[in-house]
Amino acid sequence: MASVELKDIRKSYGTLEVVHGVSLSIEDGEFIALVGPSGCGKSTLLRMIAGLEEITDGEVMIGGRVVNPLTPRERNIAMVFQSYALYPHMSVAENMGFNLKLSGVAKPEIEKRVGEAARMLALTDLLDRKPSQLSGGQRQRVAMGRAIVRDPAVFLFDEPLSNLDAKLRVQMRTEIKSLHQKVGTTSIYVTHDQIEAMTLADRIVVLNQGNIEQVGTPLELYRQPANLFVAGFIGSPAMNILDGVVDADNGEPAVRLGDGSAIRIAPQRKVRRGQPVKIGLRPEHFATTGTGSIVAGRTLLVEPTGAQTHVLFEFAGTQVTAVVDGDHPAHYGAHFEAVADGAKVYVFDGASGVAL
Amino acid sequence: MTDQSTSIRMGAGTRLYLYVSLTLVAALVLVPLLATALGGFKSLGELRVNPFGLPSKWLWSNYLDILFGDRYWRQMVNSLFIAVMTVFLTVVVSAMAAFTLAHVKFFGANHLLNYFLIGLMFPVATAILPLFIRIRDLGLLDTYWGVILPQVAFGLGMSILLFRNYFRNLPEELFQAAFVDGCGYIRFFWHISLPLSRPIIATVSIISFVNSWNSYIVPLIMLNTETKYPWPLGIMVYRGEFGTQWQLVLAFITLTILPTVIVFFLAQKHIIAGLTAGAVKG
Repeated sequence: MASVELKDIRKSYGTLEVVHGVSLSIEDGEFIALVGPSGCGKSTLLRMIAGLEEITDGEVMIGGRVVNPLTPRERNIAMVFQSYALYPHMSVAENMGFNLKLSGVAKPEIEKRVGEAARMLALTDLLDRKPSQLSGGQRQRVAMGRAIVRDPAVFLFDEPLSNLDAKLRVQMRTEIKSLHQKVGTTSIYVTHDQIEAMTLADRIVVLNQGNIEQVGTPLELYRQPANLFVAGFIGSPAMNILDGVVDADNGEPAVRLGDGSAIRIAPQRKVRRGQPVKIGLRPEHFATTGTGSIVAGRTLLVEPTGAQTHVLFEFAGTQVTAVVDGDHPAHYGAHFEAVADGAKVYVFDGASGVAL
Repeated sequence: MTDQSTSIRMGAGTRLYLYVSLTLVAALVLVPLLATALGGFKSLGELRVNPFGLPSKWLWSNYLDILFGDRYWRQMVNSLFIAVMTVFLTVVVSAMAAFTLAHVKFFGANHLLNYFLIGLMFPVATAILPLFIRIRDLGLLDTYWGVILPQVAFGLGMSILLFRNYFRNLPEELFQAAFVDGCGYIRFFWHISLPLSRPIIATVSIISFVNSWNSYIVPLIMLNTETKYPWPLGIMVYRGEFGTQWQLVLAFITLTILPTVIVFFLAQKHIIAGLTAGAVKG
């Protein structure tokens, strides 16, 4: 186990820079998720930490030691790949023990450690099978087992669940989390799925176009997004973003939207009158009763999910999603009305997108 | 006929066309083979008047004389030794070269590959004179190595091409996983690439085995001692100054192609897998 420290990491392919000076420190035993849309550089960053990709500039430190020139093996990292990357000609036990065999560990010791890892992952009955005889979830577990047996300083996960079906993904997510709680190894997890990141990670790093947008605990990112990008990325369904200008509504601070309607905002927001802003309304923050600014329009789409219903309706010239209780009546074409609590309205600068 | 339900239905005309054309193609291959095998049972006189039909009288002596003479076995052993060494060296050298060309990026890698591939364009016959002089200078004339080495050299182009395409189609993540597990290039080659390459090794082996087995011109130029002759040269013995004992030639050919036919059928499954591997991702 070890801490990981990134200092101004850069990556260029020729003249094209794809990672622009990322600095991050990860504590010993922490579970960090790197999230972002495709092409944001999260996998590249992970592969630079792994030693599979050359670092153009900056330093990677694992356990206080600069590891830039070291091979993956010397860095003592283990990696779980999206496609599992199991060796097709080796049995499960051989797959898991391959690293130890290469390191010259004695056979009985390999068997013992593989056995332990197999028990932890419920693979004991499958040790003699070939990867082709396993289901997707079992393969993923073998890939994790291969990482565990080595007792590495850092676990690296590169979108390990993207190849699984939805139900198995949820199940494996729980397994990864409980595994981390058991072994407590520092883990870095790359995903494009914000739900995975939210549920697994101690802290989340949101990346966009090779830059860190925000680092924080899942709830920090959800409650206090630093900018429009993070606000739009974290949360499902995504936050509604509306353009407006800061104004007053009966003496209270508010944002005047394009169609003239006003949405109250919290008085402590650092805005000035006439400033062009964007406001963010989380679909789940709409209430059907209570006090606040009225948001209403014609219903365009109703998506029941059981406990809750997602309602898409027209408001201020754009489309807004609200999440309401499953019992709330909503019909296509009907008038839908909800209330937005001023304290829960996010305000972002119109030009820079920074939270105000 | 169980697979009819799963395949595309075709009309009677299409089916007739398929059967007729396939029969024609099969006949093109099979008739000469059968004529050769049957011709070995005939006398020279009958061969002249009835080249394709069944022999009127089955002469087993042609085959038995060859089988019980020591020339046939000596030449088979010579052919086998040359072929096995050719296969072994071709597989080892071309697999290693192809692995390097597939995985290691270095300056001039593409030019080097092209250089090897240019070799595909030249038949051995065009290079026979310089080849003879070079082998003579190396002092390898009239030795097995004088035949083996040129055969390996001429087989490299095709073999490297086949191996390289196969290696390149191994998933990239497999290499990265092995790298993380502590493999370098050499360990990856031995522990991961080679065990996964059985189909392509079988393909390359068969191709170079058959080429070597049937090779005529290289041994003809390089070998002088009759005890070192592989079988294609051995047939020459039946060609006299005034006439050729065709019935013996045919019997001899039948007996010599038999091993390759057997080997081919044994390895057929691997060959087909190897030739199509890399054509589609799967």
